[in-house]
Amino acid sequence: MADARLARREQITGWAFIAPALVLLGLFMLYPIVWSLWMSFQVGRGMNLSFGGFGNIQRLTQDVVFLRALGNTFTFFIIQVPIMIVLALLFAVALNDSTLRFRGLFRTAIFLPCVTSLIAYSTIFKSMFATDGIINQGLMAVNIIGAPIAWFSDPFWAKVVVILAITWRWTGYNMIFYLAALQNIDRSIYEAARIDGVPAWARFRYLTIPMLKPVILFTTVISTIGTLQLFDEVFNFTAGTGGPADSTLTLSLYIYNLTFKFMPSFGYSATVSWVIVILVAILSFLQFLIARDRRRPS
Amino acid sequence: MSSLKLTAVHKSYGSVEVIKGVDLEIKSKEFVVFVGPSGCGKSTLLRMIAGLETISAGDLEIGGTRMNDVDPSKRGIAMVFQSYALYPHMTVRDNMGFALRFAGVAKDQIAIQVQQAARILALEPLLDRLPKELSGGQRQRVAIGRAIVRNPQVFLFDEPLSNLDAELRVHMRIEIARKATMIYVTHDQVEAMTLADTIVVLRDGIIEQVGRPLDLYDDPANQFVAGFIGSPKMNFLAATIVEKTTSSVTLELTNHGRARLALPVSGGAVGEAVTLGVRAEHFGEPGAGEVDIALDIDVAEHLGSTSYVYANRGGEALTIEREESRNEIGMQTITVSIDPVRAYLFDARGQRIR
Repeated sequence: MADARLARREQITGWAFIAPALVLLGLFMLYPIVWSLWMSFQVGRGMNLSFGGFGNIQRLTQDVVFLRALGNTFTFFIIQVPIMIVLALLFAVALNDSTLRFRGLFRTAIFLPCVTSLIAYSTIFKSMFATDGIINQGLMAVNIIGAPIAWFSDPFWAKVVVILAITWRWTGYNMIFYLAALQNIDRSIYEAARIDGVPAWARFRYLTIPMLKPVILFTTVISTIGTLQLFDEVFNFTAGTGGPADSTLTLSLYIYNLTFKFMPSFGYSATVSWVIVILVAILSFLQFLIARDRRRPS
Repeated sequence: MSSLKLTAVHKSYGSVEVIKGVDLEIKSKEFVVFVGPSGCGKSTLLRMIAGLETISAGDLEIGGTRMNDVDPSKRGIAMVFQSYALYPHMTVRDNMGFALRFAGVAKDQIAIQVQQAARILALEPLLDRLPKELSGGQRQRVAIGRAIVRNPQVFLFDEPLSNLDAELRVHMRIEIARKATMIYVTHDQVEAMTLADTIVVLRDGIIEQVGRPLDLYDDPANQFVAGFIGSPKMNFLAATIVEKTTSSVTLELTNHGRARLALPVSGGAVGEAVTLGVRAEHFGEPGAGEVDIALDIDVAEHLGSTSYVYANRGGEALTIEREESRNEIGMQTITVSIDPVRAYLFDARGQRIR
C-alpha cells in the first residue's frame, strides 16, 4: 500500500513539473492545429463563417492562383534542394581537408549567412539585383550580358533570384551537419582506401556518401520542409505580391495573402495550410522510403 | 624483391622531432616486429613506410626503389589498421573486394580472390555480413583478408586493439609471412617474442636494438632493452665498482650490506656507479652463486608451476621466479644467490658494460 501511494505521489510530482510546458504547448500548438483543421471546413468571408464540408477542397482544384503557387513551390523545391545539398556536401568535404589553409575562415564565411537577419539579407539581395544594381553592373563589366537583366520583372529571373538567395542562406547551415558527420568518420577508413588505391572520386562516391546517408536524409527532409514553407524572401523581394504575375508566389505567401491581405478567408487559407502539412508528410515519407537500407541485417 | 631499407629517416612535426634518424634493413620475407613503449614512434615509422606520413629527411627504399614520394597505393604494400578501418556500410565480401575493383581486376576474378582469402581466414560463413555484425576477432580477420587479396609485397600491421587469437597467429605465419615481408607494430613484448624473426626495439624515435628475439633476451645492448624484453622485467640492483682487472670487475651492492661479487667483464672503471641486471629466473638457491643476498618478502604469487616472489631490500624492489616452489608460503624473508655469468652490467647512462 505504501508503495502504491509513493508511486502515485511521484506521478503527481512528475506531471506537476511538466504541466507548465504542457499547458503552453496545448494552448499555442495543439489547440491552433486542431482549430485550423476545423477551420478548413468552414466557408465564408471574415467572421461570417459556416460549415461547408468539402467545399474548400473543391475550391482548391479550381483555384488557378493556388495551382500556380503549388507549381512555384514545387519548382523551388525540386531545383533548389538538390543544388543546395550537393553544394553543402562539396563544401563540407573540401573544408574537412586538414591540409587546407584558412579552413576556419572559410567555414565561418559559408556558415554566416544563416545567422543573418532575414529582412537585412533579402533587402540587400533586392538592391544587388536591382536593374541598376551591382550584379547587372558586374555582369555587364565582364561582358557576360549586353543589357541589364530585369531580375524582378521577368518571371524566370525572379525565380532564379529566389533560388540563389535561399541557396546562399542555407547551404552553410546544411554544410555544418555534414562537417560534423565527416569528423565522426574514422580517418583510417580513408587511409585504408588510399593504400588500397581507391581514387579520390571513388572514396567520395563509395565511402563518404554512403556513410553520410543518414545525415543527407535528415538535411533533405529539413530543407524540403523549409522550402515548402518559403515565405520571407519572396515577401520581401516582391512587397508581398509574389510577382511578377504570381511567378514567385509560394503556398505560404498565398496563405498570408488569403488571410491578411485579401478579404479574409480564414477557412480557405486553413485548407491551403493543410495542403502544406500533407505535402511535407508525403515527401518526407518518400525520402525515408528511398533512403531505407535495402539490405536487411540477418 | 620486397626488402626494405631505411636510411637516416627523420620525422618532425614543426619543431617536434618524433623519429630521430632510423637506419634499418629488412630482408625479403622477414617477419619484423617494431616494439616499444607508447609514444616511441613505432606507429609513425610504420605509417611513413606506408606513405601515410611524409618523410622529413632520409630515404625509404622498398625492393631497391626509392619510395619517399611514391603514392601509398603504388608501394606494393597493404596495411591492417589499429581500428581495422573496415568500410562500415559494406559486407565482408565487398570490404575485401573493394580495392580490386579499382585495380582493373575482372569481376569473376575478384570473386575468386575474395573466396580464397575467406577460406584461408575461415570467413566464408560471414561473407554477407556487415562489420557491425562481427566480433572483434572476426573484424580483424576481415581486415587481414582485405590486405591479402591484394597480394602485397610488404604487409604492414599496426598494433591491433585486441591480441591475435592463437589460430590467427598460425595463419599469419603460414599464409602471409611466407609470401610477403611483414612489419608488425606492438607494444606487447610477448607478442614480439612469439611472432618475430627480428625485433626492432624503439624508444623516443630511435632504435635501441635490432636482433632475433632470443639474442635480445640473452644479450641486450642496454638497460632499456634488458628491462623491456622478458617477463617479468629484469631486476636492477645499484652497485659500485670497487676493484678491476683486465678481465673482471668487482662490485659492491649498495643495498645489500656491501656484498661483493666479481663479473667477467673488461669495461668499467673503479669508483663508477653501475647497475647490475639479473633476470627473475636467474636468482639461484643460497650458496649456488657467488654471493647470497637476503630480501624481505612483500608478496608471493603462486601460479602452480611457477611462483613469483616480490621482495625488496632498502627500497629496491626485486622479483624472483621459482619453479614448483611451495617454500615461500608464510615466510618473511628469502635468501637468493647471484650467478655472475648470468648477470648484466650497465653504466650510469644505461649502456652495457661488457
